[in-house]
Amino acid sequence: MTDLLSQNLLTALLLVPLLGAAVIFFMPRQWPNAIRRVSVGFLAFNFLLSLLLLPEVVELTQQLFHRFPAVGALQVVDYGAPGFQFVSEHVWVESLGISYKVGVDGISLWLVLLTTLLTPIALFASWTGIDTKLKEYALSFLLLEVGMLGAFFALDLFLFYVFWELMLVPMYLIVGVWGGANRVYAAVKFFLYTMVGSVLMLVAILWIVGAYHDLTGAYTFDLALLQDVVLPFDAQLLLFLAFAVAFAIKVPMFPFHTWLPDAHVQAPTGGSVILAAVLLKLGTYGFLRFAMPMFPLASQYAGPTIAAIGLVGIIYGAYCAWVQKDVKKLVAYSSVSHMGFVALGMFAMTPHGINGAILQMVNHGVSTGALFILVGVIYERRHTRDLDEFGGLAKVMPWYALAFIVVAMSSIGLPGTNGFIGEFMIMSGAFLSNGFVGFGQWGGLFALVAATGVILAAVYMLHAVLKMFWGPLSKKENEGLADLTRREWVAVAPLLLLVFWIGLHPTTFLEKSEPAVVGFIDGFKEKWEASDEDDSLRLWHPNLHPRAAAQEETATAQGSASLEGPVALRAGGVR
Amino acid sequence: MSSWIHVAPLVLLVGGGLFIMLADVFAKERPELATVTSVALGVSGCVSLAALVSGVAPQTPAFLTSYLAVDKMALFFDVVICTGAALSTLLAGGYLREHGYERGEFYVLTLFSAFGAMVLARSVDLLSLFVGLETMSLGVYALVAFRRASARAVEGAMKYFLLGSFAAAILLFGSALLYAATGHTDYAGIAEGIAAGADPRLVLAGMLLVVVGLTFKVSAVPFHMWTPDAYEGAMTPATTFMSVAVKAAAFAVFLRVLVVAFGDPMSMSEASGWPPALAALAALSMVYGNFAAVSQQNIKRMLAYSSIAHAGYVLVGVVAVFRVGDEAISAVLFYLLAYTVSNALALGSLILMGSKGREAVSYDDLRGVGRRHPMAALPFVIGVLSLMGFPPTAGFFGKYYVFNAAVHSGGGMVWLALLGVLSSAVGAYYYLRVIVVMFMKEPEKGQVLAVPMRSGYVVTALSIAGLAVMELGLMPGWFLDLAVQAAQQLVA
Repeated sequence: MTDLLSQNLLTALLLVPLLGAAVIFFMPRQWPNAIRRVSVGFLAFNFLLSLLLLPEVVELTQQLFHRFPAVGALQVVDYGAPGFQFVSEHVWVESLGISYKVGVDGISLWLVLLTTLLTPIALFASWTGIDTKLKEYALSFLLLEVGMLGAFFALDLFLFYVFWELMLVPMYLIVGVWGGANRVYAAVKFFLYTMVGSVLMLVAILWIVGAYHDLTGAYTFDLALLQDVVLPFDAQLLLFLAFAVAFAIKVPMFPFHTWLPDAHVQAPTGGSVILAAVLLKLGTYGFLRFAMPMFPLASQYAGPTIAAIGLVGIIYGAYCAWVQKDVKKLVAYSSVSHMGFVALGMFAMTPHGINGAILQMVNHGVSTGALFILVGVIYERRHTRDLDEFGGLAKVMPWYALAFIVVAMSSIGLPGTNGFIGEFMIMSGAFLSNGFVGFGQWGGLFALVAATGVILAAVYMLHAVLKMFWGPLSKKENEGLADLTRREWVAVAPLLLLVFWIGLHPTTFLEKSEPAVVGFIDGFKEKWEASDEDDSLRLWHPNLHPRAAAQEETATAQGSASLEGPVALRAGGVR
Repeated sequence: MSSWIHVAPLVLLVGGGLFIMLADVFAKERPELATVTSVALGVSGCVSLAALVSGVAPQTPAFLTSYLAVDKMALFFDVVICTGAALSTLLAGGYLREHGYERGEFYVLTLFSAFGAMVLARSVDLLSLFVGLETMSLGVYALVAFRRASARAVEGAMKYFLLGSFAAAILLFGSALLYAATGHTDYAGIAEGIAAGADPRLVLAGMLLVVVGLTFKVSAVPFHMWTPDAYEGAMTPATTFMSVAVKAAAFAVFLRVLVVAFGDPMSMSEASGWPPALAALAALSMVYGNFAAVSQQNIKRMLAYSSIAHAGYVLVGVVAVFRVGDEAISAVLFYLLAYTVSNALALGSLILMGSKGREAVSYDDLRGVGRRHPMAALPFVIGVLSLMGFPPTAGFFGKYYVFNAAVHSGGGMVWLALLGVLSSAVGAYYYLRVIVVMFMKEPEKGQVLAVPMRSGYVVTALSIAGLAVMELGLMPGWFLDLAVQAAQQLVA
């Protein structure tokens, strides 16, 4: 009884917004302010509840409230331990092996907290921007949070798929009902793109479950069990591609990114914030959690290609952002560019690269989320986002200018801000990625190209800052603009705090995710070697067979020195 | 005695039909025929469900054994058909009164037609198949033409009747060939005849003709031509009945014929048997149905094309029978149950959207309904999401099981499944459009708005269907187990 909360913390995090949705559903729509307060209240409460995922917070709570036995029973988890924390499992459909299994580890922890933090902020930021059908808007946000958290928690592929699809409807409604002039087009495009990807993923899931059934005679969707299946290379490649398309559309990676600018420009501020800050992360998270562990050989094989596509995204997104006149579109394209970094870091397969990618996901959520809020602020005042309409705003809105510039700097990756840490780790990870998995001799080049992306980020961001804030105050309409209100400060302040917290003391964040990343890479390597030993599951691609490569080199060099070659090559991957 | 319980549903429907005929003539006050009919159907369905759950080994009364099977699959289809027919009747209870078509014949025809469908689903002999098929079809032809003053209704009924008669003739011709080849008309006897070395050319020809005749009833491409017109011309409750009960019964007999009569290796051959033929039909139906539905302006026509696409999905499951047997059969059974409640929910919501003098038929009629009447729009949203195959609804699990069976069959079936999911992504476009017009569009200036009707019948039907859709989506295990049991019994 006492540790009921700890055992079901994740379930509780899913139920609180659901309960909030039920409450909102029965509230009369004539009470807009009550609806706002209750919905933000539920989401904020959920954020506080989600803080209990952090051992430090639990310890602090226990010191403060030591008199309450319920608090004493809260679990202090150690994210250094292998595997998942707060796991809870219930059978859903027994005959098909579908279960409700949820858990978090170092990889998903910060993304979960990012979600619970940004959902209330996003809803709070659109406090005044939304005045029609407010009740439905609040309902959509509450249900959206259930979907997003569920997708981060799910350790059962079927459950993941259900939550993955569930997120779609609220976001679709948010864009389609409360969006701009061309909202229906953007909403339907968003929905269909994601849907095509996810049905491909569904077929791949069915295939791997069938393969497991053929091997063991049992059906299961449990990720932990399915991960153990080592599939032949060609099957892995096809399945990996099906997952990769689904995730790449969501990230979005070039050339599947075209829905993103449309959706962002049309979405209301709150929708853009959630879309950029959390939904895109589900794509990269999907790679880390599902595609890469389940299909290690294929991800090793395709990794450099995907990283190269990520590089294309970095450069292409940056150039597109540079020429935009619409600030929101500029930020949207900068997302394409920044998510390219994440893809690069993930597939570098080095601890630095992956850890950096996870941190960069959080960074992007914080920075881009803040940028969209700030863009929404000026849009609410001026009803335009055209860069040419601004200029000299620093004179009338100094605090706004300050906040915007700080966030822009973090987006560029200025040292001292969060963006620097993430991008630096990713680039160093890519640079060092020359092991048995990773980029081989391309690592240096990849890092170099990515570095030009940082320069381009400075170009387009400073360009936007220049056009908006400096120069003469040329437009009459801009003269009477009010600075940030207290409510807007409340929305932006936590994000500004995080910009500097991550930028100055990233260890808080990295130390939690690092053990999981190391475990991830070790598991990857273990599986690689296991597939090498078992001849019934023999690999088939000569270039990818370490033993074959070793034998070949032994045969050619015929010396003891040649043996070190492949060994060193392997060790290099996990420096 | 216990053997009678399994034919009680049939007796109940015929008795109910006769009673209503008399009541309609002799009653002074206009009786609540919809209530009587739906109760009769509901009780029949419940009796079958109880028999199915109780696990009592079903027995057939001796004099019926050579014509009708009473096995778990028959009981399962009783449940599906009675559910579909009962929902249509409830919808009719609201619709007929609102639009001034209240005549007792509708209920009589529905009951007799449902009886025919249940006979069809139980048939184990080509003769009883034909009797069931015609009993069912004659009722449905009349139902389509029910609104006899409407040119569209007559046109639809005429097309349906003519093409249906052709299909029946083709089926009959196929039966004759099979009889000539094997000396049997019962499925098991045909299988024996084939095993004993019947002329393979005659068997193949007979088999294909029978399959074509049945494919017509499930409206798979290229035998779908009648579907949009008949669906559009018929009154919406009749459309509901056609699209769920008739389709389910046709698929039931499809499974029986294929599994029992043509389960031999040659007929199931991947090169020259029914699997490649049906796979081609499935692929065509899924692709054509979904793409044709995209351009429709009339929602009933859209749902007609979508029903063609859904026939394609079910056919994928039927084809998979040749590899994974009972797994595929149970998938088909579950899909049909899920489709029945989902489609009844969608069509029922469309009925709810219109009232006296003005039915909602096109997308434009639905403009802004979500804003003006959110509670009326809710069942429509659930219905189209389920038809789209969106979790956690019945339609999602239905699609999931069918494609699961296809993927597990391996080989070319994986590509068929891939085609299926991709074309269902196309389907998402036109289903979403319903949500788009309801919630994201406002009526044009001067447009006459369709006002949702107020009817306890329709609300009851939608509540039942809506709850069933969510139940099957959230807790599918119970019904899935029933489907699995039924499938295993058929294969054994």
